[in-house]
Parts: sequence; structure tokens; C-alpha cells
Amino acid sequence: MSRILSIVLLVSICIHGQDVVIVSDKNFPFNTLKKDEIKAFFLNKRSLIKKQRVLVMNHEYGDDIRICFEKVILHKTKKSLERYWRKAYYQGYKPPKVIKSNSMLLSYLQHVSPAIGYIDSSKLQSKDVKVLYKSECP
Amino acid sequence: MLKKILLLSIFILNVLLYAEEENSYGWNVPHTTLNIGGYLDMTYDAKREDAFLFNDIALLFFAHKDKFSIIGEVELSNISLEGKSNQSSDVDLVLERLELIYAIDDKQKIKIGRFHSDIGFWNQAPITILQDTTTKPHMVKHMYPQITTGALYNYQYNNTHAVSFTLQHNNIDLEEDNSFTRDRVIVDRHFAFAYHYTRDLFSWSLSSGMYREYDLKKKSYYAGIGFQYESDNYEIQAELFTQQSNDIKDRPYSGYLQTLFHIQDKQDIVLRFESYKDNVISIKEENYLLGYVYRPWNNIVFKAEYIYHSKLPLNRVVSSISVLF
Repeated sequence: MSRILSIVLLVSICIHGQDVVIVSDKNFPFNTLKKDEIKAFFLNKRSLIKKQRVLVMNHEYGDDIRICFEKVILHKTKKSLERYWRKAYYQGYKPPKVIKSNSMLLSYLQHVSPAIGYIDSSKLQSKDVKVLYKSECP
Repeated sequence: MLKKILLLSIFILNVLLYAEEENSYGWNVPHTTLNIGGYLDMTYDAKREDAFLFNDIALLFFAHKDKFSIIGEVELSNISLEGKSNQSSDVDLVLERLELIYAIDDKQKIKIGRFHSDIGFWNQAPITILQDTTTKPHMVKHMYPQITTGALYNYQYNNTHAVSFTLQHNNIDLEEDNSFTRDRVIVDRHFAFAYHYTRDLFSWSLSSGMYREYDLKKKSYYAGIGFQYESDNYEIQAELFTQQSNDIKDRPYSGYLQTLFHIQDKQDIVLRFESYKDNVISIKEENYLLGYVYRPWNNIVFKAEYIYHSKLPLNRVVSSISVLF
């Protein structure tokens, strides 16, 4: 059932064009995540799933898809995020791992579990990942 | 002289070593989760005996292993650049924090050790580089304990709701507890509750608690509320606390409203209005602050501010340089 849902999501993404999609490894314990749950992972307010630490991946600063992600998912400004991570560092938290390319993201998702990241829908061709959430870029 | 050169060398080295990779600080020990970093603050306050002071040079470290995390912070404090401070030992070595955190599950954590409780906004960002002004509102030092040695339970529901309970019940050993060197109230009892709500760029919090000062055995009860809002162009933050004690000397209210305007990408103007009534020192006054903040990089901040007191003779200019590394 979850495989069918993933295929339907992938097909709908292809039809609509550029969206940001939250993706995970194929063994990720959940098939979907709510926006608040995604925010909790990417802001390191939540780091475990089923007692396992989740690898959370971010794109490089200035990347179009990251700008979109921060706007439509995190709802944070650049200054707000800078302030947030300075404070988080003092409290013992680090920001998500920064990956340099989509292929690196997909490679991590194939080899690490649990792991999540996000990608431009038009760049998503691998079927070895789960699509957890999708949102349109403004 | 040697001390000044050493301190300034550390300062310059840290500025130069900072990598421009955004939001990343400290040095990760290869093949481990151990991260080592720190911060330093240097302030100029014309009203202080030692006008130039290295307030803090601190080492920060943290590591995670499965459901356990550890955070530590060791500070060298009050290093005068004029060689006048603390004549006996020159500097204070302070174990500021040592926290052992256990994640019960995805939403719940328990923390034990010496830590900053979840009370108020300033207590969660207690070092200068995390703040928009060098001086702090009256409430930060007088309405609730800054440091707690005990346990804290935290429940985090998604990104939105967070509840915490703080518990401290112990005996203070002044030989080990250096809080008195930091001009803090030393407590041996502290029970507190805090709720934080966060929704995108808006957050508000509610706090309440009781603490007992270890020497006077004086119990104080406090409660407070606060909110924050951030936008592309400005940030606004306000808090109001009240405190009642088991004697007549209490603090009926202490509150502030602070606004930060982003005038340029790296430059801000900060305004703060503050009002408090403190029966312990028999004063009721208003303070006004106008400040300028410059962050050339993510990890360094220059601040200069003028603070006007309506009653106390403390009108002055305060400035600081802080580095996070």
C-alpha cells in the first residue's frame, strides 16, 4: 500500500513541476510526516525515531531548494535561523548535515537509516526513497 | 602584559579560524560525536571598577551517544585588562554547566546536573553573543535563579509545545559553587514549571516557580509571561515577571519591551523600555536603552548601547565584542 502511495506521489510531483519534497530512506518507520514533525527534525527538536538517531540533511546555503524549504516548511527567515542555531549550539545541538548535491543526498538515503532530507521534485528519479511530504514552492 | 597579549591572540585566532560555513561552530573530533568549541566576551563599562573586562572565556563541549548526551561549559571569568580584578587569584575558573541528558523517547528528556532552567527567554540564551544587548533587564538576575543544580524533565510535542519541570533540592558547598563570584543568587531549593509555545516566527512562554536562598532560607515565589515575534525587518520581545517572598521585601513587577530593527543585513538598532519595582533595594524605576548591533559574521558581534536609569546613578555607555567558536 505504501509503495502505491509513493508512486502516486511521485507521479503527481512530475505533473505539477517544481515542488519541494521531503524524502527518507525506504526503511523509514513512517510513510508520511506532518509539517510540524518535519520542522522538529530539521530544527533538532526531535532527533530520535524508534530509539534510533535520525540523520537529517540540508542543502548548501543559497541553494534554491533550500530557500524554498526554509520558507514553506520551516517558516523562518535567514536571521531567525542564524539566531536559532547560535542558541542551539550553546545548548548542545548542531544543525543538519549539509550535503553538496542531490546525488549525495540520495546516496546517503540508500545507505543510512533512518535518514531524511529534501529535494526539488523535478530532480527526484530514484525509487529507493520514500516521499513523506510535498509542498509547492512560491 | 603577557596576559593581554595571550588573550588578544586567542581572540584574533578564533576570529580567523572561524569557517564561513553557516551555522556551524566548534570542532568535531573525527570519528566521534564530540564537539569542542567555546566563546569569549570582552566588555567596556565606564561605571565598572575594571572598565575593560574579559567577562568570559569559555570552553564548550558536547557529545551524543544513543539516548545519552553530555554538555559541559568551563569558564575563565572576570579577567581585567587593567590588572585590577580579583587580586588574589587574578581569574575565576568556573564550572558553569555540566549536564547529562537522557532521551526517554522521541518526545521526553531528563536532564541532571548543573544547568540553566527553561525559565524566561534570557536564561536560555545567557551569554552575550546570543543576546542583542550587553546589559540585561533587571528581571534576569533578580526574579528567578539563573543556575539550577538538580534535575529537569522536558516534554516536547512536535515543534510547537514544550513543557518542563525543574527540581533542585540539595545542600550548597560554597567551596564548589562559584555562583557568588558571578553576582548571582545562590539557591538550595528550586521547583519550577515552564511552558513554551512556538509557531513559525511567533512564540510565547509561561513560567512559575519557587526558590529558596541558601543563606537566608528565604523562599521566593515567581511567575512570568513573555512573547517573541520575528519578521524580516524587526523582532519584538517582551516579558513580565512578579515575585513574592515569605517576608515583606518582594518584587511586585519587573518587565521590559525590546525591539530590534534590522537596518542593514548585518546591522541592527535595538530599543528597550523597562520598568520594575524592587522592594529589596527599595527602588521603583524605568530604564531606557538605545543600542547598535553589528554582526560582520555569524560568530562575532560588536554592540554599543546607552542606558538611561530614571533613579539609579547608572546612566552609561556599555559596549562589547563577543565571539562564538
